[in-house]
Amino acid sequence: MTTLELRSGDPSDSLVTPSAALGIFRRPLATTGWKSWVFTVDHKKLGIMYGAVAMFFFLLGGCEALLIRLQLAAPDNTVLSAGLYNEMFTMHATTMVFLFVMPMAAAFANYFLPLQVGARDVAFPRMNALGFWLFLFGGIFLNSSWVLGGAPDGGWFMYSPNSSALFSPSHGVDFWVLGLQITGIASLIGAINLIVTVINMRAPGMTLMRLPVFAWMQLVVQFLLLFAIPVITVALFLLSFQRNFGAAFFDVEQGADPLLWQHLFWIFGHPEVYILILPSFGIISEVIPTFARKPLFGYKFVVFSGAAIGFVGWGVWAHHMFASGLGPVSVAVFSVSTMLIAIPTGVKICNWTLTLWGGKLWFTTAMNFAIGTIVLFTIGGLSGVTHAAAPADTQQTDTYHIVAHFHYVIVGGAVMGLFAGFYYWWPKMFGKTLSERLGTWNFWLMFIGVNLTFGPMHILGMQGQPRRMVVWPDKLTGDGFFNLGFWNRVASVGSFTIATGVLLFVINVFRTARKTEKAPLDPWDARTLEWLTTSPPKEHNFDSIPTVHALDEFFHRKYEEVDAEGGSRLVKVKTAEEVQAELNAHPDEHMHLPSPSYWPILLAFSLPIITYGVIFNLMLSVFGAVILLLAAFGWVLEPSVAGHDEYDPPADSGDSTKELASVG
Amino acid sequence: MAVAAFAAAVLFAGCAQDAPQDTFQPKGPNARTIDDVQRPLFYVAGIVGLIVFAVIGYSIIRFKDRGQDMPEQTHGKTWLEVTLTVIPAVILAGVAIPTVAAVFDLDDKSNECVINVTGQQWWWEYDYSGTCGGVEITQPIVTSGELVIPADTPVLLRITSRDVIHSYWIPALNGKRDAVPGRLQTLRMEADEPGIYTGQCTEFCGLSHARMRQAAVALSTADFQTWVTNQLAAYVAPEAGTLAATGEGTFVNQCSRCHQVNGLVAADGTPVLAEPDLYVVAGAAPNLTNLMTRTAIAGWTFDLLTDACREQLWNASPEEFGSLYLQGVWMNSGPDATKPVCFAEATLRDWLRDPAAMKPNYASPDQVASTGGLTRGMPNLNLTEDQIDQLIAFLLERK
Amino acid sequence: MADTTIHAPGHGTTTGLSNNKLAMWMFLGSECLLFGGLISTYMLYRGRHEGGPGPAQVFDIPLTSVSSFVLLMSSLTMVLAVNAAKAKDDRNTKLWLTVTALLGSLFVGGQVYEFTAFYKEGLGFTTSLFSSSFFTLTGFHGVHVSIGVMMLLALVAIISRGRITGDKAEAVEMIGLYWHFVDVVWVVIFTLVYLIPA
Repeated sequence: MTTLELRSGDPSDSLVTPSAALGIFRRPLATTGWKSWVFTVDHKKLGIMYGAVAMFFFLLGGCEALLIRLQLAAPDNTVLSAGLYNEMFTMHATTMVFLFVMPMAAAFANYFLPLQVGARDVAFPRMNALGFWLFLFGGIFLNSSWVLGGAPDGGWFMYSPNSSALFSPSHGVDFWVLGLQITGIASLIGAINLIVTVINMRAPGMTLMRLPVFAWMQLVVQFLLLFAIPVITVALFLLSFQRNFGAAFFDVEQGADPLLWQHLFWIFGHPEVYILILPSFGIISEVIPTFARKPLFGYKFVVFSGAAIGFVGWGVWAHHMFASGLGPVSVAVFSVSTMLIAIPTGVKICNWTLTLWGGKLWFTTAMNFAIGTIVLFTIGGLSGVTHAAAPADTQQTDTYHIVAHFHYVIVGGAVMGLFAGFYYWWPKMFGKTLSERLGTWNFWLMFIGVNLTFGPMHILGMQGQPRRMVVWPDKLTGDGFFNLGFWNRVASVGSFTIATGVLLFVINVFRTARKTEKAPLDPWDARTLEWLTTSPPKEHNFDSIPTVHALDEFFHRKYEEVDAEGGSRLVKVKTAEEVQAELNAHPDEHMHLPSPSYWPILLAFSLPIITYGVIFNLMLSVFGAVILLLAAFGWVLEPSVAGHDEYDPPADSGDSTKELASVG
Repeated sequence: MAVAAFAAAVLFAGCAQDAPQDTFQPKGPNARTIDDVQRPLFYVAGIVGLIVFAVIGYSIIRFKDRGQDMPEQTHGKTWLEVTLTVIPAVILAGVAIPTVAAVFDLDDKSNECVINVTGQQWWWEYDYSGTCGGVEITQPIVTSGELVIPADTPVLLRITSRDVIHSYWIPALNGKRDAVPGRLQTLRMEADEPGIYTGQCTEFCGLSHARMRQAAVALSTADFQTWVTNQLAAYVAPEAGTLAATGEGTFVNQCSRCHQVNGLVAADGTPVLAEPDLYVVAGAAPNLTNLMTRTAIAGWTFDLLTDACREQLWNASPEEFGSLYLQGVWMNSGPDATKPVCFAEATLRDWLRDPAAMKPNYASPDQVASTGGLTRGMPNLNLTEDQIDQLIAFLLERK
Repeated sequence: MADTTIHAPGHGTTTGLSNNKLAMWMFLGSECLLFGGLISTYMLYRGRHEGGPGPAQVFDIPLTSVSSFVLLMSSLTMVLAVNAAKAKDDRNTKLWLTVTALLGSLFVGGQVYEFTAFYKEGLGFTTSLFSSSFFTLTGFHGVHVSIGVMMLLALVAIISRGRITGDKAEAVEMIGLYWHFVDVVWVVIFTLVYLIPA
C-alpha cells in the first residue's frame, strides 16, 4: 500500500494537540501510521476506509457475477456446479447490496455530510468508528463461510422454508443471518449518528431548505434505515432461533406460515431498494447542477419527492409477492401503490433533465456518469412500471426481465451514480484529480457494458427464462432473433465489458495516487460548502465555520450579478482561493476535536466472536460477550474529550467550537 | 442504443418463432387477459422513454458548453413542476384502472375441472378426480410432469407444496402461482387448442431448481377421454419368461419402495404399495403406472422422446397433436413393433445408472445422513446393466 | 475570549435539543419497529399451540399483574431520579436510581419465575409456535429491562465515584427515556399477550 498513500488532512495542521494524560483511560495519540487509521474517529478517515473496503467487496461481488455469466454463456454449461452456482448468486447479491452499495453510500455520507452541513465531525465520532468496524468484521465473517463449510445458498431473499436446516444443511445460512445482524447494527448506529448530525450540527444559516440535495437524500436514507433495519433484525432472529435453537417459526409441519418471512423480509427489503438508490440520486443532484452551471431545477420538488419516495416506499412491499397468493384485494392495492411511487420518481427524472436544459454543459467524467445514471435509471424505472401491474408481473416475476429491471436500477442508477461521486469528489478527498482520459474510457465501457449485459435480459425474461437457473437447455431456446442462447452470450460479453471499465477505474486510482500534480482548489467550479475548505480538508474541516446565506452558498460567494448592456450578467467575482482566504481571515480558535479511541474496534471485534460461537461452540460466544461487556464499560468510562487543561498548549480561554457528546 | 434494444424487444417479441415460453404469445383466455394489460404497458413505457431520451439528447447537443454566458440561475417554475407531476399521474391512472380490473378477472375460479397440483423437490405431481371437462374420472389418477387437460375448458389448479415454496408457471396459459406448503392456492388454466405448452418452476427451490420443469398438454375432449381411460386401464403383467417379466421382479425389489405402479402385485399375491414417506424427504415419488405416456422424466427435464419425434410432436397441428401424443414413445412405431422408434433409451439408461449425476440432489453420504437417511430425489441404486435392461423392458410396457 | 469577533457555532445545537437526547429518541423509534415485528409474530402464532399448553392454560394473570405494577412503579421512581439529578441532588439521584434498578430486577425476577413455572407445565421454548413466539417476545423485553438495570447500576457507580463525563442530569434523563420506553412496551405486551384472549 505504499504507493497508495491515502491521506486525509495534514495532522500538523491541527490547532491543538491533546496531551498524553487523559484521565484513567488513555486515548491513542498516534497521528501518523497505521494506528492513526485503526483508532481514528475522524469522519473523513472513516469515510475513506468505508470506501476502500466497499470497493474491495465490489470487486469480489463482481468476480462472482463474472463466474455466473461464464456459467450461463453456453447451454448446459459446467463452469459451476449447481450447489456452487446457488452459493454464487446468493453471495453476489448479498455482497453487492450489503457490502458494496450500502457501505459505499455510507462512505460518501460519512465524508461529505459533515462538510456539506458545515460541521467539524459527526455527532458521535466513536459510534461512527464502531459502525465501520462492524461493517468490516461483518463482511469478513459472512465471506469466511466460503472456507468454513460452504457459503449461504438460499438466495439473498432467503425464503423460508428453503432456508431451514433441513433444506439448506450447510452452515452457510447461519453465516448469512448472523453476518447481516452485524452489518445491520452498523447501519443502525450509522443512521442515528447521521440523522443527529444533519438535524443538529448544521452551520449557522444552514436551514433545512438550504441543505444540499445530497444531504437531504442521505437524511431520507438514514430514516429508512432507522425503521427498516429492526424489521429485518426480527426476521433474522426468528430464523436463527429456528436454525440454532430449535424453534419452528417457519416450520410448516408445526403450523407455521412461510409467508411471515416474506412479509418481514420485504417490509425491510423494499425500503432497502430506496436505501440503495437515493444516495446516488443525491450525488447526481450535486454533479448535474455543478456541470450545468445552474441550480438544480425545482430543488423543493426534488427534496419533497425524495421524502415522498421514502414514505410511499413503506407501502409497496407486497409487490414482491404478487405470485404468492395474497388475494385479489391486496394485490390490487399494492399494485396501485406501486404505480404511485413512480410519480415522485418521474418528478426527479424531469427535474434533472430540466437542469440540463438551458445550461452550459461541461462533460467531465463525473457529468457523463451522472447523465448515464439518468438514462439507465429511466430504463429501469419504466420496466419497473411494467411489473407494477400485477397481472403482467405474474408473467415477469422471477424471470430475467426482473433481473434486467433491478440491474438497470441498481447498476445503472445506484452504481453509476456512485462512480459520478468518485470522479466528482476525488480531488476533494485526495487533493488529486482522477485522469479524465481513463475516466472517459471507464465511463463508456461501463455504460455500454451495462446495456449489453442487462439489455438482453429484458428479452430473455420475456421469452420465459427464469432466474436462479444454473443451466438453460439448448432445446428450449427458440429460433431466430429471440434465440435465448445468442442473448445469453451477449449478456456474458457485456459483463466482461463492465469488468474492463471497473478495472480501468482501479488503474486510474493507482495512477492518480502516484501522480504528484495537485488538484486545483475548485476544479469543477462547484456550488456547495465542502468546496469551501482545503483539499483534502484539514482534520477540523473548516478553519472557520461559514455562515450560510443561500442554497449553493459557495457558488454565491464566487459569482455576482454584474450590470451589463442588455441587463445583468452573472460574473465570477472571486476565485475559490479568495473566498477561502476571506473566510479564514478570522479562524475559530480552540477547536476540541474528538480523540482517537481503542474501544470501537475492540467492541466491534467481540461480535464476530459471539457469532462464530453461535455456529460452532457457545463457549466462544460467552467469551465474546465478556469482551463486549468490558469494551462497553471501557467506552463509557473513557474521557470523551480532553479537559481544557489537558491540551498542549492549554486551551485556557475555555471556549470551544466543538462540543463533544459524552456517549460519543 | 439501449432504448432501441428495449423498444425492439417489445415490438418483435410478438413475432418470436418457436419460443416455447414467450410471454407475449398467449394461448388461452387467462394469458390473453394478462397480455391485454402487459402489451400496452410496454408501448406506454417505450413512448415515455423515447420522449425522455429525446429531451436529454437534445439538451446534451444544444446546451453543450461552447463558451456561452453563464445561464440564468433559475430554481424552477412551479407551473411546469406541477404539470410534470400531473402528467405521469394521469398516465398511471390510465394504467391502474385496467390493471385492477384484470386482477379481479383473473381471480375468477369458475371451472369445469379441478386438478390438484403438488410441488416438491424437484417435480410436480398432479392428481385428478371427479369430472373433468365432462369426462368422468372414476378412480383417482396420479401422474407427474405433464398436466394433461381438456382443451377449451376452464381448469382450476389447486396448488400446494410438500416441502419448500415452488411456483407453477405455464407462460402461454397464465401467470405464476406459488406453491406454498400449508396453503392451497388456485390458478385457472385454459388452452384454446390442443398442443403442448411448457413451463418451469419459478420460485427458487434449492439445488436442482433449474431442473424442475413442467408442461401442460391440452387434448380434445375425445382424446382426453382416451387418455383418462388409458390411465385407468387395469394393470397388465408382462408375459411370463420375457425380459419385462424379470424386470417386474427387479422393479418390485428396487423401485417399488418409492414408486407406485397401480395394480402391481407381489409374488405372494399381495398388492405392492409404495411408501415414499419412509425414504424421501418430501414424502413422495412419481407414480410410474403410465410412465411411457409422458414425454419427459425427472421433473420433466430429460426427454423420453428422441429429438426428431419431439420436434414432430411439438410442431404437430392442433388436429393431429392428440393422436400423436397418445402414442407416447410408441409414436411412428406401427402396431406390431416390439421396440418403440421414438424412445430415447440412452436417457433413461443414464438416469437409472446414476440419477444424481444428471440431477444433483444432495447425494453425498453425510448429506443423506443429515436427514436420517432420507433422500431428496432418486438415489443411486447401483443397478447392474442387466437390471437396467430388465427395468427398461418392464417400464416400456407402462404405456 | 480571544475570538469574540467570530460567532462561535457548536455551543448550542441547531435545534437546541442535545445530540444525545435526539439520538436516544431516534433509537427508541427504531425499537418500536423491533417490538412491532415481534408482537406481530406473536399475534400471528398465539393460537398455534398443538402438542402443548395454550395461553389460557399457563398464564397466571394475577402474578403478572403484580409484576407489571412493579415495573410501572419503577417509571415513577425513574421520574424522581431525573428530578433529583436536575436539582443536582446526588444523594437522591443515586437513591432513586437504585430503587428503580431494584424494581426492574424484581420484574425480571418475576419473569424468570414465570418462565420456570411455564416450563414445568410443559411449555418449553420449542414446544409450539405459541411458546417460541411468546418466549421470544417477552424474552426480548426482559433483556431490555436487564440492560436497563445494568445501565442504572453502572450509572449509580459512576456517579458515586465521580467519574461521569459530560452532563450528569442528561445521562440520567437519557437512561430515563429508555426506561420509560421499555415500560410502555410492556404495557402493550401485557395488554395484547395476557389480557386479550386468543
